[in-house]
Amino acid sequence: MSAAVEVRDLTVAYRERPVLWDIDLIVPEGVLMAIVGPNGAGKTTLIKAVLGLVKPAAGEILIYGKSFASQQRRVGYVPQRGSVDWDFPTNVLDVVTMGLYGRIGWFRRPGRADRTKALHALEKVGMADHADRQISQLSGGQQQRVFLARALVQDADVYLMDEPFQGVDATTERAIIALLRELRSDGKTVVVVHHDLQTVPEYFDEVLLLNVRRLASGPVGDVFTEENLRKTYGGRVGFVGAPAGSPPIANRGPLPERLGGVSRSREPSRN
Amino acid sequence: MDVLIDLFSDYTLRVVALGAAILGMSSGALGAFAVLRRQSLLGDAISHAALPGIALAFLLTGSKAPLVLVLGAAIAGWLGTLLILAVTETSRIKYDSALGMMLSVFFGFGLVLLTFIQKRPDANQAGLDTYLFGQAASLRVSDVITMASIAALALAGVAVFWKEFKVLSFDPDFGRSIGFPIRRLDIGLTTLLVISIVIGLQTVGVVLMSAMIISPAAAARQWTDRLGRMVILSGLFGAVAGVTGAALSSAKANLPTGPTIVVAVSAIVAVSLLLAPNRGMVWSRLRAWRAGRRLRMDAVLMDLFLLATQHDSAEYPHDRRVLDAMSFPRGATTRNLRLLEDRGYVQRIDATRWALTAVGADRARMLAHENPSEWRTA
Repeated sequence: MSAAVEVRDLTVAYRERPVLWDIDLIVPEGVLMAIVGPNGAGKTTLIKAVLGLVKPAAGEILIYGKSFASQQRRVGYVPQRGSVDWDFPTNVLDVVTMGLYGRIGWFRRPGRADRTKALHALEKVGMADHADRQISQLSGGQQQRVFLARALVQDADVYLMDEPFQGVDATTERAIIALLRELRSDGKTVVVVHHDLQTVPEYFDEVLLLNVRRLASGPVGDVFTEENLRKTYGGRVGFVGAPAGSPPIANRGPLPERLGGVSRSREPSRN
Repeated sequence: MDVLIDLFSDYTLRVVALGAAILGMSSGALGAFAVLRRQSLLGDAISHAALPGIALAFLLTGSKAPLVLVLGAAIAGWLGTLLILAVTETSRIKYDSALGMMLSVFFGFGLVLLTFIQKRPDANQAGLDTYLFGQAASLRVSDVITMASIAALALAGVAVFWKEFKVLSFDPDFGRSIGFPIRRLDIGLTTLLVISIVIGLQTVGVVLMSAMIISPAAAARQWTDRLGRMVILSGLFGAVAGVTGAALSSAKANLPTGPTIVVAVSAIVAVSLLLAPNRGMVWSRLRAWRAGRRLRMDAVLMDLFLLATQHDSAEYPHDRRVLDAMSFPRGATTRNLRLLEDRGYVQRIDATRWALTAVGADRARMLAHENPSEWRTA
């Protein structure tokens, strides 16, 4: 089994404060991997570092054994939904077509074939009838699906997704996970920043437990243990400069309930 | 309407109007991107920062040729932008503070230089101060040709890098992830913004030039949900405001051009904010009012339906006062009943009693079916 993504000794710092400290990680090809950890653990930063969006202080990142720059086309990115202005004057189809801009080339406009591809991706996420919709009219779940469709048209081999389940209803969550499984059966690798600990064993093959440092990573069955979760969320993690906003150290009550309370945040489904 | 007649007959005025149209178009089009990228105030900083550039260009060359002064303005405007970025990236000072700081530092320095130039025993210095509030009447054919060539360059840049600039404005991180050189595109688009600002300085002036960046774009956003249309419309609004303001100011006893153009563009903004379909305040208020009225009306209809379901017939009449007691706020029942009557949903049986019609009963069943949780139906 070869590695889709390999991270070696990655350290990222904002000013003097390290956000990621000496991360080593191997994402095997063809798996669904979750990145979990408390707020401020550096989950988003890790994804952005892999994509070259933040500059590491040290370390090396390889996509299929080569640098990101040379493998760019094989990597798809789904940013956090809240990272853009949804009142931007454009429609759904146009946003999805942006996924193809990288390969259209300079000085050229997307053509009919590109729009057909975009429409096809919209069908896959069940949004084909919203193609002409102005993006400000979308619900949170629909925005998320549009971002997924934009990543799908990239036809990448590795997908990095930043909280694709954030603020979506149960129906959309099921649709998204079905899509991720489809990607996996096509041999793609998907890395997802995830917040709902309860669904990790059901949804994912591999998991990375992250809190500035890598606490554990590997097959869910091996590393998604109470002991490791306590190390990630609970007791002092052995790093003095733990970021502000880390959950309290005190460990009260049985673990599953506490974790459930930390993680679950879903909108109630409408009708 | 002499101004309108002059516009077609007077040669000078035509030159002025053409110049104003060109500057309005380019600042409007580039302004659309600035507004969408939440950089409205950057335009203000750039135009103010241009003033010392104009003064220094004159001091160094002794020339008042617009091309020379515009070049000085562009370099200073650019420098100001770079300093704002440098301050934001290397210190804890926030973007808005850095912006305000550079704006006042550069503008203050420019005013000092301007005063210094004016104090010199040199007849040639006259007229530099028109760069403060702008003077369209000073435009000559050669100036307009210069403006037109530079503006054409800026607009061509937007057309050529259209999809790149769109991604840069909407989702720069994603743009970087698909391999766009986002930083260079950012520098490119900002350069085009600087260009579109400096070609307007002679006509509009450094103090109010930012209005030509922000206002046409804000107005255009009201009318459309597509980026392409917004950029074109914004350019058009800029041109119309430019021509109107420039023509008025040169035709009427020395009105300063910049302020006159700003008044014109503000009128366009006001109309757009109020009257644009969808986003306009008038229509959205009207829609909200209609929706509220419909909801109150339906509430009375459903009350009547609820009462009637306790009898054999859906069209069983009930006293208005019973409905009154059920409704909140009190007292509007009669008005709502009349509205329902107008639509054929209810009928008056006698002085106080009302009943659903067959159509009204159907509508009530439909509403109850569509939104069972919203209505207290039996």
